[in-house]
Amino acid sequence: MYFALTDEQRALGVTVRDYLEDRFDLKAVRAVFEDAEGNGHPAELWKAVGDQGWAAVLVPEEHGGLGLGLVDAQVVARAFGAGVVPGPWLPTVLAGEAVRLAGSDEQKASLLPRVAAGSLVATVALRGPAGRYDPSGVQVSADSSGRLTGSALPVEYAEVADAVVVAATEPAGGAEPAGGAEPAGGAEPEREVGLYLVDPRSPGVTVSRLDSYDGTVRTASVVLDGVGAERLPGSSTAVLTELFDRAAVLTAADLVGLARQALSRTVAYDTDRVQFGRPVGSFQALKHHLADLHVAVTMAEHAVLYAAHALDVGLADRRLAVAVAKSKAGDTAREVTATMIQYHGGIGYTWEHDSHFFYKRAKREVYSYGDPIQHRERVAALTIDTPTTSG
Amino acid sequence: MDLSFTPEEERFRAELRTWLADSIPPRWRSRSFWSALGEAEAFELRRDWERRKYDAGFAGISWPREYGGRGGTSGMQAIYDEETQRAGAPHTVNALGLAFLAPTVMAIGTDEQKRDIIAPMLRNEVIWCQGFSEPGAGSDLAALRTCGVQDGDEFVVNGQKVWTTNAVYADRIFALVRTEPGSRRHNGISMLLIDMHSDGVEARPLRQMSGASEFGEVFFTDVRVKATDCLGGVGNGWATAMRLLSFERGASGIAQYTAFRRQFDEIVAVAGTFGRTGDPVLRQQLASRIVELECLRYHSMHVLTQVERGEELGAGSSLTKLQWSETHQDLWETFDDLLGPEATLTRPRPDTDLQAMHHEAMWSRSVTIWGGSSQVQRNIVAERVLGLPR
Repeated sequence: MYFALTDEQRALGVTVRDYLEDRFDLKAVRAVFEDAEGNGHPAELWKAVGDQGWAAVLVPEEHGGLGLGLVDAQVVARAFGAGVVPGPWLPTVLAGEAVRLAGSDEQKASLLPRVAAGSLVATVALRGPAGRYDPSGVQVSADSSGRLTGSALPVEYAEVADAVVVAATEPAGGAEPAGGAEPAGGAEPEREVGLYLVDPRSPGVTVSRLDSYDGTVRTASVVLDGVGAERLPGSSTAVLTELFDRAAVLTAADLVGLARQALSRTVAYDTDRVQFGRPVGSFQALKHHLADLHVAVTMAEHAVLYAAHALDVGLADRRLAVAVAKSKAGDTAREVTATMIQYHGGIGYTWEHDSHFFYKRAKREVYSYGDPIQHRERVAALTIDTPTTSG
Repeated sequence: MDLSFTPEEERFRAELRTWLADSIPPRWRSRSFWSALGEAEAFELRRDWERRKYDAGFAGISWPREYGGRGGTSGMQAIYDEETQRAGAPHTVNALGLAFLAPTVMAIGTDEQKRDIIAPMLRNEVIWCQGFSEPGAGSDLAALRTCGVQDGDEFVVNGQKVWTTNAVYADRIFALVRTEPGSRRHNGISMLLIDMHSDGVEARPLRQMSGASEFGEVFFTDVRVKATDCLGGVGNGWATAMRLLSFERGASGIAQYTAFRRQFDEIVAVAGTFGRTGDPVLRQQLASRIVELECLRYHSMHVLTQVERGEELGAGSSLTKLQWSETHQDLWETFDDLLGPEATLTRPRPDTDLQAMHHEAMWSRSVTIWGGSSQVQRNIVAERVLGLPR
């Protein structure tokens, strides 16, 4: 039994955290946050992502990557969450995963080395306005010749992306006669979904910045009007579901990273802040709540680690594990970041204090790739409707 | 990450599973079987089964062979915790002795104590109870007042213990006694090993809110205890007690997870009976219970990893306790919510007997109190893990 990070995985986390501490601290985050017109994509940070191989974690070695798993990737995601770091790391990694899972050999050979090197910024557009983060939420459709029409939002860093992986519903029989049918495992899905590579500079693509309270990243809407696209031949509804699960785990990792950091900062502040002649952290009203949050963050960390491992090795309960991790991380991060503001008192509600970076980033991510309600419903379906009796 | 057990551990699991399947009659798996028995009868049945378990070589899994244990790994102990729960095995009748006293005796007992205490406990010839809490010393254990006055090579003990599990069945009690007259707080305390059949010991059952009497109170009136029946040295009782309680860290939470996961399925079955499994609000609640239960399972694997690597868990065991006890309580509140106006009825329908489940729901109110209340655990986490000021 070994339920923990390896020394190498720990070292990776230390490397990312050390870099951020030295070169991209909260002052740098603030500069991005307050530069509302800027693209939110600091060049020096992205160069480090490429140089250090942080975007290469999930890329197979044959394509110039590190060939590691989600357990390793979640180490990076946690560190980025802890630093409320801007930049297109997550969407680029997810686009790489789409290509790795469903791309042709040529597509892999063309795109994955550039993902690994950080020379390509990519993103994913998998869900339409007000849709769910599952195949039913797709609001782009492909016609029989593979042209895409519809819209997706929020799409992270679409403005600076060189490539967008778009999910689109397909006419019965598939958009392209070639490619082959992907049996999704028995039951006939209501509609098949495919994944397509889109060049955002193609005619018919409109990318519009979305004004968002979370200034730690930039998001946009992507509207497609008969846009030519390249299908990922191995894509299917099942692959999209797998991609959503991977996105959910990495988002949960970002959430637990930022929740842990928000908790540590709150504990540090309440240890020093004196009112009524004593540190406010000595009052049990705060202590007991902070202790509960420590338990919650610890459990969320375990859940993310387990879910990442479950997807890496294909454990039977991986879908349940993902739903547990994302709902737990979301609920926990929301409460911890709200508490961060509350337990900093008046200063915590000011613009000049950093608490709102954590709160706002958490607020976005709680709802990204399935909110706690959606994931709990998934848990219910997996445990109530199909009881996995332990006896 | 490697969540597998060794081949040797998996062989142990297979062997244990076979023995459990053979030794536990199917009707024992039903709650109503146990609730229909009288408490004393149930106790004897459990005691007898546990004796057979010892004979089959499944007692003291990770204890050294020299003490009659199996000499197994901590992984085997975790497997044992899981498999016995999964099989619906009877709960041990010697819980506090096995979990706390025995490892302490192995660590710091005299040779005579090791010989006289451990093997008879493992064979259930001697049932132990723990005498820590007193009417004035619950969460504040150092306020204890039971006193022992030295008289030659004996102590004369007077006082009262309360909330003592198995008080009326126990043969011996490991009790914290103030042996230095006038001493205060953590000083001047000794851990005495007292024969419950001695003159001057009286054990009375206490009826719990559930109606059962699993615990009781113990009165000492001029009870004479040999000075050699002191564990860890005279006046050293507080350190001995802390050492003893530290063995709780062996409890990773896997036993609780396995038991509560079965309870979840029982509750879902009741929800099905009442046509409530489609209720979206109830589904969210039930899913929340699973989320916390699964987190407990992951956590128990994490704890087992730490134990296998010889890491100190220390105050971390307070996290485990908070996670399992609060989750257990929430689980049974969900049971109430699904029953609604029927929540207090033992037979909401002629064909539905929920008495045993209600008993478990009542019991859930106790788990956040005993073994260090949730409030005490939160103090520990806040001060010793997070480092918040006292």
